[in-house]
Amino acid sequence: MEWFQVYLPIAGIQFNILLLLLIGFTVGVCGGFFGIGGAWIVTPALNIFGFPMPYAIGTDLAHMGGKSIVSTIRHGKFGNVDVRLAVAMIIGTTTGMELGARLVMHLERLGLAESVIRKIYIIFLFLIGSYVLYDYLSHILRQRKAAESGTAVSTGETFAQKLQRVRIPPMIHFKASKITCSLWLPVGVGFVTGVVASVLGVGGGFIRMPALIYLIGCPTLVAVGTDLFEVMITGAYGALTYGVKGRVDLLAAMWMLVGAAVGAQMGTVAVKYVRGYSIRLLFAVTIFIACSSVLMKQLEFQTASSVLILSAGIVISGVIIGWLIQGVLKERASRQARSWAAFKKED
Amino acid sequence: MKQRLQWLLRKSPLIWPKLRVPGWAAALVLIAGQALAAGGKPATKLVNVADIRTMGPGLSRWIAEVYNDNLWLYGALVVVTMALMGLILGTVFDRLVGMLGIDLGKIEHHE
Repeated sequence: MEWFQVYLPIAGIQFNILLLLLIGFTVGVCGGFFGIGGAWIVTPALNIFGFPMPYAIGTDLAHMGGKSIVSTIRHGKFGNVDVRLAVAMIIGTTTGMELGARLVMHLERLGLAESVIRKIYIIFLFLIGSYVLYDYLSHILRQRKAAESGTAVSTGETFAQKLQRVRIPPMIHFKASKITCSLWLPVGVGFVTGVVASVLGVGGGFIRMPALIYLIGCPTLVAVGTDLFEVMITGAYGALTYGVKGRVDLLAAMWMLVGAAVGAQMGTVAVKYVRGYSIRLLFAVTIFIACSSVLMKQLEFQTASSVLILSAGIVISGVIIGWLIQGVLKERASRQARSWAAFKKED
Repeated sequence: MKQRLQWLLRKSPLIWPKLRVPGWAAALVLIAGQALAAGGKPATKLVNVADIRTMGPGLSRWIAEVYNDNLWLYGALVVVTMALMGLILGTVFDRLVGMLGIDLGKIEHHE
């Protein structure tokens, strides 16, 4: 293992290359599959293995930009990226993030920042996870009822469809998402998610992804791809701002990006073989794990919290890779069956 | 002059105890003043320096030197490297996955 030790001059520590590749790979799979940056996995993982916290955050943000490019290229080819929608949201997100940062400074002046933010974070994660899980379970129940009665699945009018009916000009059609709504809807949703992300001190992927589904009405896969486009922009900005402050270890980020590029490709291709609701279910589970980890941190079980999040990341990426392998094998088998049938027909 | 000096020596055991407290105070002010003057203004920022003394020539050393020389240049280097690596690795792995025989065309959105 000595061979794989590398000196990282900026963080000022010796680190194992294999560990960097593993962390990158894990977060690459999860990021490509869920459309998130995955800072909540990388930052505690780097920190637990000896990275000082500011360097862990900066290095994570730097590799996040590169990793999101890998995923966005693939999602773009799958037709999952709605660039127009992403640009509209970025306008709201950046404004919201600025307001959020000011809010945090105000809380800091009151001496409430640390405790209040962590509590909000726990409540927020719990609410998002619960809602996504509730949505998944009610979808399954609806499907069963429809199968018993032999009718089509009725979903009724969703909250997103109600929001889309608000006709405040200019109205815009988003081609990849197949929705028409007021420009103010994505700008507003971007703004709100920006404020929340900034207050919580996170990239915001895990807030934006469900917001794109439940507030704007995107199909799950388009939500994943479009969110990754946004993560790419915020990651690049984060890399610059932390780089200028000298808090990015470029060498570590480069090694992590190699692992993440492989993982992101696998995670992104895996979405092809699963239905949108399966992504939502695994997303809900992931959110609950993240929530438990923050709760443990609040109760001052720092190491246990980091171990939980890292091992959960490995298990979740294992599940995703399992789905990918299953899907590829099925696809190959059906292709072989088709070509065999065509061969027999010719005979 | 001689008489005055003799008077001072005679009286000094009485004068010195009275001067002890203000003397120490004056000395403290002088020393603290000197110390503050030597220290300059309070530090506002820690200096970022990568230790390259034990490093041999190569990419790591070059990155560390850029870091030590100019942080703005280092920030730009981080963004450009990550973007270029993302583009190159994305394209390469995309081709490799295509070579595995997976259909990578547009996909239908099933909920």
